[in-house]
Amino acid sequence: MQIRVKCSCGEGKCPEWAIVELQGVVEVQPDFQDRLQNLQIGLLCRPSSQENYTFTVGYHELTGSKVPLKKPLLVLKKIKHSNAEEDSATVNLSRVEMEVIGIIRHRILFKIRPKALISSKLLLVLLSF
Amino acid sequence: MEQSQPDCCGGAAAVLNLQPNSSISVAYHPLFGPHDDLILLELDEKLLPDVLHHRVSFRGQPDEDAVLCTRSKTYAVKFVGTSNSVFLIPPSDPSGLHENEQDGDKVQRDNKAAASVIKVAPGSMELVEVAPRLDKLKMLLSENPYKFDEVFEMDELNEMVDCNTSLYRWDDLIDKVQASDDELRAALKSLSALEIDGYWRLVDEDYMDGLLNMLLHNSVLNEWSLDALHEDEVVGVLHSDGFPCKIASHCLQVYGSEVEGGSRGRVWRLDERRVCMHFARGILRGGKIKMESFMGEWARKAPEGMQVNFDMLEGEVLTEKLGIQTWVYSYSVSSLPSSPAERFSLLFQERPKWEWKDLQPYIRFIFSLALPSVLCAVPFAFSCKSKGGFYFSCDCFSRDLRVPGLTSDGLLLKYTRRTQPTLDADPVFSAR
Repeated sequence: MQIRVKCSCGEGKCPEWAIVELQGVVEVQPDFQDRLQNLQIGLLCRPSSQENYTFTVGYHELTGSKVPLKKPLLVLKKIKHSNAEEDSATVNLSRVEMEVIGIIRHRILFKIRPKALISSKLLLVLLSF
Repeated sequence: MEQSQPDCCGGAAAVLNLQPNSSISVAYHPLFGPHDDLILLELDEKLLPDVLHHRVSFRGQPDEDAVLCTRSKTYAVKFVGTSNSVFLIPPSDPSGLHENEQDGDKVQRDNKAAASVIKVAPGSMELVEVAPRLDKLKMLLSENPYKFDEVFEMDELNEMVDCNTSLYRWDDLIDKVQASDDELRAALKSLSALEIDGYWRLVDEDYMDGLLNMLLHNSVLNEWSLDALHEDEVVGVLHSDGFPCKIASHCLQVYGSEVEGGSRGRVWRLDERRVCMHFARGILRGGKIKMESFMGEWARKAPEGMQVNFDMLEGEVLTEKLGIQTWVYSYSVSSLPSSPAERFSLLFQERPKWEWKDLQPYIRFIFSLALPSVLCAVPFAFSCKSKGGFYFSCDCFSRDLRVPGLTSDGLLLKYTRRTQPTLDADPVFSAR
């Protein structure tokens, strides 16, 4: 079968998406496990005019930078067209299309081990004694 | 939505255009979830225009690995996973994403200082250019070649069309064969397939044999020159002999090449090599034969004015010495699979050791990917000895292996062991 790749964004006008990428996994506290929607992950800061960023997640601070992707990534969405009059037996005959809904050219990459904010503060406190 | 904030105030743009000395909250999107219908595809910049102009598609049956085809090329699609957390942030008003959204979510989405993560991408799809997978094409077309009886049994044909068995339209082939349009077209040409009543068909070997003989017979009767056959005249005469016009002119294309014609329509010259090869194949279909008998019979069968030459059969036959006799038998490169691993495996089953001059015609490679693909070789693989011989053209382009990214030296290194008893001896290749 053939799945056509469609693009309705028009000439070179694909909306740009962004990637924030970090090593490892962000674990959500058990209380929030079932209601992630709208939950804040962290705060992304750009402290200077350089393309360096910090990302503060809980007690951790990550340092990273904005890097262009060597090759762009397309965001494809699978779309199933099933005719309403068709019954469920013919469901696998429904036409599938891929639609380009976005393009990604940059990611903000955090690849260094996070700094623990608490412990460094503690350390400061200890040092001041 | 009552307020129409410009898109730059949230979502991806806010992240990508974050001003110095400022910050933005990154949160899970109101619609955050696995979103398995969202796929990331890594794509070379030069393929982007093809995508934007709707010239690419995924092809393959559910049990095959999908390929992505542009007009002229075929790419394998590989999933590359990552252990990083890849937070995917759509634009603030991602078209196509919020179709299921409930009213309550809107309030949250308009939160200007936040960028929302719609999903964590487990990885992305990457593309690797590959040779088109054409093995299946010959198999499909070989199921039901065009034969003598079909001309007379039109009723049966109609029946066949009705239940649609083993007849394939262009769109059916696109559905079933993993190749780009250009590659498929080139493969159909090199298989000498033709479109009859909307269906792509091969013509049965016996039928082509009868047709070619009738053409040669008529050329003697009517004193036509084999170097300047006028299509209208030839097709007219063959038609009166009972051959459909379309197939008669197909015969000229298969065995001839067009020459600069006069005012009287298209003019063709029969190709010595292709015609002679046709008769050689006919003889060898009887099995292994002594060299002298073969050459004698071949020369007798060839039309007057054409010279047979054993070199014409490169890649078509092998010889072996039994005692003092040399025997020749049919071993056609077009019957070998297109994947290098399978092809080398079959070659070494045929012979454990190959001299370079024998091996070379069976492993010719084209690795210049810069060539337009119509010119590029069309590898094919199949073995279809089942239903008797079918006609396959053998122009020099059609027989080569094409393996993007690998040179012939690379393939030899990978699949063969090269031995050279002495410095001046010819190298011998055996299985690795």
